[in-house]
Amino acid sequence: MKSLLNVSHWAAQLCVALAGLISVQSAAADQLADIRQKGELVCGVLGTDEPMSFIDPKTRSLVGYDVDLCAAVAKKIGVTPKPKQLAVAARIPELQQGRVDILAATLTHTKEREAVVDFSLNVFVTGQKVMVRRDSGITKVAQLAGKKVVTVKGGTQEPNMRKAVPTVDVVTFETAPQAFVALQQRKAAGFVNDEVSLLDAFGKLGDAQKDYVVLPDSISVEAIALGLRKGEPALKTLVNDALRELEQSGQAQQLFFKWFGPTSRLKYRTRSFKIDSDRI
Amino acid sequence: MPHFDLAAVLTDEFRGWLLQGLLLSLELMATTWLLAVPLATFTALCRLSSLAPARWLGFVLVEGIRNIPLLVQLLFWYFAVPELLPESVRAWLYEHNAEFICAAGGLTLYTSAFMAEDIRSGIRAVPITQLEAARALGFSFLASMRRIVLPQAIRIIVPPLISQSLNLWKNTSVATVIGTAELMYQAQRVETASFRGVETFTLTTVAYLSVSLTITALAVWFQRRFPVRTA
Repeated sequence: MKSLLNVSHWAAQLCVALAGLISVQSAAADQLADIRQKGELVCGVLGTDEPMSFIDPKTRSLVGYDVDLCAAVAKKIGVTPKPKQLAVAARIPELQQGRVDILAATLTHTKEREAVVDFSLNVFVTGQKVMVRRDSGITKVAQLAGKKVVTVKGGTQEPNMRKAVPTVDVVTFETAPQAFVALQQRKAAGFVNDEVSLLDAFGKLGDAQKDYVVLPDSISVEAIALGLRKGEPALKTLVNDALRELEQSGQAQQLFFKWFGPTSRLKYRTRSFKIDSDRI
Repeated sequence: MPHFDLAAVLTDEFRGWLLQGLLLSLELMATTWLLAVPLATFTALCRLSSLAPARWLGFVLVEGIRNIPLLVQLLFWYFAVPELLPESVRAWLYEHNAEFICAAGGLTLYTSAFMAEDIRSGIRAVPITQLEAARALGFSFLASMRRIVLPQAIRIIVPPLISQSLNLWKNTSVATVIGTAELMYQAQRVETASFRGVETFTLTTVAYLSVSLTITALAVWFQRRFPVRTA
């Protein structure tokens, strides 16, 4: 009898513990309070998308525009930034399932995505373009009809390309650099990506640049923003405040020129956007 | 999280993508299987041969391929091997769905290495005296294999071969990394477009499981219908 009682007592305790666990999970209503409590802001970044986020070959750590934005937001909250590398296709699922706190992963703000995630102010505006080999004779996006193009899985590149040229054949890979290799190996006629990433890849070609052309017409204009879990107004306000402060203090301008300016591979001389709206 | 709603990923468009993917996965399995079984038989015979160079070739094929992860092999077959081919062959390959051909090629080699070992052990399970008797009666090596040993070995070989076919079916999903538009590739496309990861992968799981269970059922049936007969 005694042992039976012990067992039931133990089982009851287990039930209480389990119930406690479940209630803690559901009670975590305010993500901002959670972030402050754990003392770190986990930012989902790509790490394969220079100069937005990539691994510095010297320090072996994640750096880039997105990583700096993450740090600025973490500073505003008063916690340590912790970038975490994600695949393009895994961004929204990882955010929804709470494995990252925010996304700073070259995430385009789209109407469709608004149904599942919230967006901060736009932090970058870029077109999506296509790079082709010069000897292909292609000079306009429309000439890609019926041809094969390559890009990265899980982004807006594939649907945008199909919208621009419905008869195009799109093949996708896990990362953008893999798709770029496929273009270089003549496996496809074109490589689709955000203009900044495309220009960066072009810059890396060095002497081989003469063999490639970035087509002048964009297939879309992408407003890139930070991604937030839905229904977290406190965090969203704070993130947007941090971004506005960056813009007002001139730091946003500095960050832009640090990663995209004349001393970078991209050599942008002017900044065509400001971090002040979330319109798309 | 939004509630579970299968209808969200069963719209005409998404269903079409998933069905296309399933079909291509089945095609990939069928093509690979038809190529891998003869190659595996050849490799197994090499390993059993009395000629030392043939034994070495079989050994290198099996151990070289079995000990490298499939993911690495597929990336190698897609990104590296075509670069080593002559210009004209390469141009032909890139005109003809290189993603499918490289996936089928890589999977064929990988699967055949495992199948070869099953075939070899099946042949070795037939007492060596059977081969010796056949040889003593004047059959050549190949003729004694074909007429005496293999007919007995086949009952032993088929069950593990079916189990390798099951592995092959599951391995086709790795081909998504080289852009082969099989079921996993299309599932990821649907997930990206619908934001319905749970529903998409539930359907995908059911699809993989249905084919897997069919293959398993075939194995069970075969073992009941054609049990191993000891010589």
